[in-house]
Amino acid sequence: MQPTTRLLAQGSMRYRKLRLTTKDVNKGFYKGTGTGNVGEHTKHGGFSINWKKVRTYVCPSLEGFKLTPFVTKNVKPVHGQYEDKLGPKSPRLYLERWKAENGLD
Amino acid sequence: MPSSSTIRPAMGVLAQSCKSAARTAAAPARTPSQLSPYLQTAHLSTSVSLFKRHKYLGARDTKDHSKKRGESAIRGTGTRWRLSMSDEPLPKPVPKDQLPKVETDKNHGLWDFFYDRQTVAQSPEKDAAHGRAWLVEELRHKSFEDLHRLWWVCVKERNRIATATWERNKSELGFGDAEGKARDYQVRLTMRGIKHVLTERFYAWEDAVKLAETDPEVDFSGEGAPYTPSQFLEEELAEEELAEEEPKPEEPKLEGQRPEEPKPEATTQEIEPAPKPEDIPGDKVKI
Repeated sequence: MQPTTRLLAQGSMRYRKLRLTTKDVNKGFYKGTGTGNVGEHTKHGGFSINWKKVRTYVCPSLEGFKLTPFVTKNVKPVHGQYEDKLGPKSPRLYLERWKAENGLD
Repeated sequence: MPSSSTIRPAMGVLAQSCKSAARTAAAPARTPSQLSPYLQTAHLSTSVSLFKRHKYLGARDTKDHSKKRGESAIRGTGTRWRLSMSDEPLPKPVPKDQLPKVETDKNHGLWDFFYDRQTVAQSPEKDAAHGRAWLVEELRHKSFEDLHRLWWVCVKERNRIATATWERNKSELGFGDAEGKARDYQVRLTMRGIKHVLTERFYAWEDAVKLAETDPEVDFSGEGAPYTPSQFLEEELAEEELAEEEPKPEEPKLEGQRPEEPKPEATTQEIEPAPKPEDIPGDKVKI
């Protein structure tokens, strides 16, 4: 987008590269605010919410939960040991573990 | 009809009372009014209000004839002229210390936003007394439910830190912003780890499903068991355990005879390594 030529007059290049906001330009320029889309605009100017797109926050019960966001510094970082080269991303190890723990109910 | 501003108020009252007297010729008996015992007014008479002085004592007509001369809201002078609600007993504001105490719930969930109920923020020393963030390797051993709850514990902690920062700035409590920021960073690292583990687990699951399609032991058709092991090792292991258990209770009965099995263990002096975290399934590992 370019500003009006009037603003470029007298060698003032201040307005040559404008960072547009949501309030600028009548039509054709849409700038979101990062909140995401939750529905569709109707042809009559309204908005119909698509509830499948609406965010829901599920907080489980924290009763009796003892873990905290921190770990004691006395426990030194230790790398995990995996038989596979891929390590935790290995599908073979995942499948083997599933078979051992969950395969037979 | 002449407006009330041109004639004197007293005259206006008299005129109205004459009118009313003319209309209500057969009105009930007049009684002495509260305004004056000598002034008799009819039932539902408005003479009392009409006869009240139109301006307050001390209000004099200044040369500029300004009706609001001397009125000040800042100095609380009150109005100069009588208003419709001047005689109504308006409530006076109660002093702050005499206000009734607001009852609050001690166990309200919103208290979790505060470190301290008196001073929202805690001291920088306490803020700095935290450990390190969870490592991704440590989080890998946690179940989904544990990770879910840990995530929300982190969210609540970040809310607490943000509330404390806001209050510290607003009430100018002093230093502590840097410690709060460092604490927040560690919490965010933990949250990052949780997200990483869940994503990794999902991708591994996707790849495992793909791999299982080529596995003869696994059957995803929906008919029968999903997993049929080719070798039933469980039965063999059970037989071995039974064989081991039989001689063990007999050994302590023998006196002076060392059993063969523990002998090599005593001489080698080898300590069995602790089970690795990845061998212990689920959330039994407590760090």
